[in-house]
Amino acid sequence: MKGDDIEAGSSEFERRTRALLLKSAEELPGAVRSRLTQARYAALAARPARLTPFARRWVPVGAAVAAVLALLIVYVPAGRSPLEGPLANAGLEDIELLSDNDAVPLNGDQDVDYDFYEWAANEAAGSAAPAVGS
Amino acid sequence: MAAFASLGAQTTDLIPPGKADLRDTTQDATRALEAFLASVERKAFRIAQIALRHEADALDVVQDAMMQLSSRYASRPAQEWKPLFYRILENRVRDMQRRRNVRSRVMAYMPWRGEEDEDAVDPLDMAVDQGPLPPAQLESDEAMAALEQAIAALPARQREAFLLRNFEGMDVAETAATMKCSQGSVKTHYFRALQALRAKLGEFRT
Repeated sequence: MKGDDIEAGSSEFERRTRALLLKSAEELPGAVRSRLTQARYAALAARPARLTPFARRWVPVGAAVAAVLALLIVYVPAGRSPLEGPLANAGLEDIELLSDNDAVPLNGDQDVDYDFYEWAANEAAGSAAPAVGS
Repeated sequence: MAAFASLGAQTTDLIPPGKADLRDTTQDATRALEAFLASVERKAFRIAQIALRHEADALDVVQDAMMQLSSRYASRPAQEWKPLFYRILENRVRDMQRRRNVRSRVMAYMPWRGEEDEDAVDPLDMAVDQGPLPPAQLESDEAMAALEQAIAALPARQREAFLLRNFEGMDVAETAATMKCSQGSVKTHYFRALQALRAKLGEFRT
């Protein structure tokens, strides 16, 4: 039973009160009507974003593909190096050499005693090679 | 950012031609909700205003009810919106009335009570600035004021039943769903409200 049905089954008193109330709602001041419109738009803006059925179907698939790609990018280079054999871990050794404070400077520092290193290299070569006449 | 915008456009283009209506689903739902809110907002405001006797509070309550319906129940079937909305509205009205009661009790113990009253009606707001009213308008305004006062004096459940049935035009079943009570209770509340109003507003009788 909607409005018209209520009219049909109601007394004159009910019809009169209803007419007065409806009139008061229709004749609201402009400022109130404006505030109500603002409230309506604020409520619509607060509505949680809903995905279309198309997006609902494909967004999870896209997220899964992105997750798999991220895993591949993160784990594959560490697990499988393109270099095989002794050079496989060369990258890490280079980093260790460069970060070692006690290592030989590689920038041509004038304070380096190259004569000492040359002597040491010769000594090492001499001890490794079989002595002449022995 | 332009790349993202163009990506969005491309994504909508991926919708198969036979299912083009899918992209309108969200817009249709928003339009339906907006139409519903527009259809109830004035009556909701008057219902809240009659119960609270305060314009700003009534506006706040209506806005809260709209926000809650929109944010929590917009996905429900449209035919459920009206009972849900008016139930939320009535809950908000009661919350506001409770807050007022607590505030007035607390303020009653304050030594500086009466010096500041935030809820006091500004006399300028009450001033009539449109010159003398025609007799018919004056009579109507007086009748409305008397009716509003009489409705506000009703017990909450009777007021709710009367306004939902008589003003909003809900049937007994809808009113019962909104008030979360049986249809028999709705009839009882409505009947008692009518009796009380008739007793106060005798001149309304024909």
